[in-house]
Parts: sequence; structure tokens; C-alpha cells
Amino acid sequence: MTTETLLDVRGLSVRFAMPRKSLFGQRPVLHAVRDVSFSLRPGRTLGLVGESGSGKTTAAMATIRLAAAHTGSVLFNGIDLLKLDAEAMRQQRRHLQVIFQDPYSSLNPRERVGAIVREPLDLMMPDSSKSDREKRVRELFGLVGLRPDQMALFPHQFSGGQRQRVSIARALATNPRLIVCDEPVSALDVAIQAQILNLLRRLQDDYGLSYLFISHDLGVVQFICDDIAVMYLGQIVEFADRPTLFSRPRHPYTAALLSAAPSLARRKSAGYVREGAVKGDPPSPLNVPVGCAFASRCPRVQSKCRDERPVLHHNAHSAVACHYPLD
Amino acid sequence: MTKPLLSIRDLKVEFSTRYGHVTALNGIDLDLLPGETLGIVGESGCGKSITALTTMGLIPDPPGRIAGGRIVFDGEDITQADARRLRSLRGAEISMIFQEPMTSLNPVFTAGDQIAEAIMLHQSANRAEADRMAVELLRTVGIPEPERRAQSFPHELSGGMRQRVMIAIAISCRPRILIADEPTTALDVTVQAQIFDLMRDIQQQFGVAIMLITHDMGAIAEMADRVAVMYAGRIVEKGSADAILDNPLHPYTRGLIGCIPVLGKEAGQEGRMPPLAEIPGIVPPLHLLGQGCAFADRCPLAFDRCRTESPMLKGDVHKVACFAAEMEAA
Repeated sequence: MTTETLLDVRGLSVRFAMPRKSLFGQRPVLHAVRDVSFSLRPGRTLGLVGESGSGKTTAAMATIRLAAAHTGSVLFNGIDLLKLDAEAMRQQRRHLQVIFQDPYSSLNPRERVGAIVREPLDLMMPDSSKSDREKRVRELFGLVGLRPDQMALFPHQFSGGQRQRVSIARALATNPRLIVCDEPVSALDVAIQAQILNLLRRLQDDYGLSYLFISHDLGVVQFICDDIAVMYLGQIVEFADRPTLFSRPRHPYTAALLSAAPSLARRKSAGYVREGAVKGDPPSPLNVPVGCAFASRCPRVQSKCRDERPVLHHNAHSAVACHYPLD
Repeated sequence: MTKPLLSIRDLKVEFSTRYGHVTALNGIDLDLLPGETLGIVGESGCGKSITALTTMGLIPDPPGRIAGGRIVFDGEDITQADARRLRSLRGAEISMIFQEPMTSLNPVFTAGDQIAEAIMLHQSANRAEADRMAVELLRTVGIPEPERRAQSFPHELSGGMRQRVMIAIAISCRPRILIADEPTTALDVTVQAQIFDLMRDIQQQFGVAIMLITHDMGAIAEMADRVAVMYAGRIVEKGSADAILDNPLHPYTRGLIGCIPVLGKEAGQEGRMPPLAEIPGIVPPLHLLGQGCAFADRCPLAFDRCRTESPMLKGDVHKVACFAAEMEAA
């Protein structure tokens, strides 16, 4: 089991206590992630997909303890990360790295990019000599398509795409097993997105990396992910491998996401009219509905959906949390 | 041929910067026909938004300046119009929706107030009539409980609802042109789909011509009748949406289409997707543009002539500005 699975997340929940509405009132609780389970095998990419507020980023951050989990377990290489003390967790961090969405705010503007990429080595491998670490930084710059003579520059001297390359080099520095990619291309121009996506996939092939890939863009997800978990209001509503999810979506929300995603095949000239479009906005995570969270927007809703919360049911190919799934 | 509602001819816009004068728009020609959707596509920094802002008379002067050319709306050159005339055109005849609906609405007035303001400014309506029309407009743009939502402040509305309020303001005076500058970039995909569907409905209902600025070829496919592809302040390819998407002639257009991981039937198949096409490098800063074609440094087909001479836009209906494409066609 432990050789098969790199990451096994079970029953993860994250809550945030919000400010009191009145002096003696209860603090309202925001249920950001509700009982989420997923697993990831080495060398593969798991996509967490959903709209803003679906809890995809919070679930990933709780997985690597950058957000505090309320309940659940996170087995990484067979070790429960949520039970580790601070020093043991720090030792694990070399295997767990993150690439953030915004390459403008995730790099220290007052540090040279060479030093930014070297910092994980300074922290995790203090016994190695400084010249070895410099050599490694040089090597990393080459891997991500930057020139070693750019090491002495500051982040503001780079374009968005190049900054994201610096972030990737920093994430790779300690030879991690798992990289959480939090919307790594959504802040970039379309032409630059392709460069970064190709780079991420090449690095995965060369180093056997596993990605937990967060995105709202199904085009990007289809390109890079092997398995996909669709999240809605803090829960996984559908889980499947890529071919199954894109050819046979079973949850009406997944179908709606697919019909909303831009495609070159839908032409105005051919009189395209969208099918299965959803109305309105998701409900508030402060006040989670009793039944299915998607009921208020679902084109197939029935009375059972409003009263009873569906749980994930597995069939041979995929898992779906819906009383009346599409077939 | 239908007479264009808006025709832009040889428009040049300059900005004075610390690098000296840079040319943000370098002689662009565009026609917008009544009731059609014209897509303008390109990466950031290509001049898409400057085109929109110039058409609205919203280029800050200084540092910006219209250095040449005409923008003819309904027989009138609006580059020559004074501030008063521009004010009466904006909102009434030509209106605009922006990318970020949070920053383009005033946070201290309700949605209803802001729609009523536009109505009272351009139409002879009193406050009560304007308020009533505001509620009707909110209903038109698909906001549930419009009477209640008219009393809401922008922060009480979701991103999608704010963009609907923006659209309600924009169409309040039945403009003939609606300029939409990346109207859905800040929104989630399902909400983006709702806004696109709404824009199509409104176009059918009111016959408004839409200029849609986007970097998303998927949005172009779904929304546009005709397309202009911009690069570094010039139009490099122009034609019907089908011609541009199915038979792109400019290497930049081909790159833009190839580099986007759009949904296709491949996703349903086993095995890895093929790598994406890449356009190497980035859009050059405007002050570093040299003699030749601005795309030459990133172009897989560039040859000597591309570096010394700038290609002109050529062709009948499907036009392209590229020496390599000219040779291919010959």
C-alpha cells in the first residue's frame, strides 16, 4: 500500500471561525472543506477543480499543513503529517513544495532570484558547502529555462512567465516528491501558459514528480492531470480519471463546467446555444444547505436533493455524489 | 455591403514615457457593422484596450495623444469632438463594460442608484421614472428579485451579479455600440458562460454591435462574427471568425490557437495529451520595436526581410500582415 500511494488523504475537514456578529454572539463557522478524501500515486497528477470558494486551495493547503485541518488524516509515504510535531514536519517539508498562483507576490522583491532559489537548500541542507548549493542553483536555472547569469537579478526585472520559472526552480531545489501547484498559470498570458505547462510536464517526466494541481480551467486540467476531483462548496462531487471525466461526466455540476468551458468547436456562426447551463451563484459556505449543495443551481433537481445530502458512490470507473447522476 | 456603424482609419496613438514617445497603436483600421460582434484578440500589451479606450475618448491626454487617423461614428469623426460632445456620446451611443466589476462600480451607491444616474444623465426622466427603469433593467439582465437587488450595494453582490449591473448600466440608454473589455476574465467559468449568454441575448434583443476584447480564442469562437488579431499595436490578421479559427494565416494567430489547451475530444482518450505549441519569448516592450515585423523575434517562419521591413495588411476579406504568409499564398 505505501509503495503504491504517495499521498492518501482521508476525511479532511477545514473550518474557519469568522468574526462575531455581535458582542455576545456565537462566532459563525465557515465550512471550507467538508470530509474530503483523495489519494495520489507517485509520478501522477491529481487535479482539484472547482470555482472560487469551492475549497480546492484550502484542501490542498491543509494537506501540506499550510492551513490547519479540523479533522482527518494525511498519510504521506505512510506518515500522518497531521500528527507530526513542528520539527518532524519541518523535516518532511523538503519533500513537499508549492508553486503559487501569483508570481508577483510569491517572490521576495528585495532578494536576488539566485538567493530565493537557494533558500530551501540553505534551510534543508545546511551541511552541504555553499559552493555545492550555488552549483545546484545554477543547475536548477538551466532546468527551468533561465540563464545562470540571471541569478543576480531581482524579481521585478523578470516577466510574469520568467518569475513563475523562478518559483518552479525554488520548488524543485530540495528534490521534492510532491508539488502543490496552486493555479500556477492562471495569472499568465495565454502564450506564456503553454510554455509553463509544457515545462511542468517535462519536469514530471524527468524527475517522477507528483503534482496536486489546483485549477478552475478545464482546458488546463485536461492537459496536465491524470485524475480529477471536482469540488463544490467544500466537497468532492465527482472523482474520475481524465478520459472518463471528460467523455462521461456523471455529476450535473461537472457537465455544467464542461459546457461552460470555452471550446473552439462551439461557433457563433453555427448558431451555438449552450446546453445544461447553470443559474446563479453557489450558496454561502457559512450556511451550508441541508441537502445537496448544488441543488439550488441544478437543472435536474428533485425534492430528495433538497432534503438529503448525497454521498460519493463508486462504480467501476468513477465516483459521484449525486442522487440522480447522468449516465 | 452594410455601412459600418463605426470605422476606424489609420489610427495612431502615442504615449510619452520615460523612454520617449512610444507608439501604442500604429495605424489600425477597423470596421464595426450594426448588430455584429467584432472580436479583438491578442496578448497583454498588444493595444487591445487602448483601441477600446480611444474609441470611448478615454485616453488620458497627457501622456497619451491621438497622433493621426480618424474614428468615424455614424458619419462624425469623434477624434475631433470636444469633451461635451464626447460626454453625450459615452453611455448613450457607445458604452463600455470593464474587466473588473468591483472597481468599476461606485462602492457607496446602490446598484439601482448607479443605473438611474446613467438614465437621468442621458434621457429626460425624473428620479421616480429612472428608478423604475433601473429595476426593469436589472430584470432584463437576469438578476433575481430586482426590486430588492436595486437597493444592494456593490459589496453585497457576487462578481457575476456586479458584471450584470455593469451591463445594465451600459445598455440603459440603448447604445448602438457596446465595448466589452475582457468582461469575464475575473469571473468563474459557469458565471462567464452566463455573462456570454446574456450578452448574446441582449444583442439579439436590442441589435447592439459589440466589440469584444479578449485573449481567449474559445470566447472568440463562441461570440464573434469577425475577428481582428492584434500584435504590438498593429492588426496582423483580420477576417471572419471561422476563417481565423479554421485557417489562420499569421504565425502569431496560429501560435495563439495552438498554445491554448481548449477542450476537445482528445480529453476523452487514454494516454497523454501531446505537448502544447509554444510561442517563445514575450511581447516586446513598445519602446524597443525596431524596423521590421514586431513578431519576427518570436516567429518560426521569420527570414531576412521580416527584420528590415514591416509587412502591410493585405488581402480581400481575410487579411494578413506577414511576408511568409504572402509567399505561402503565392
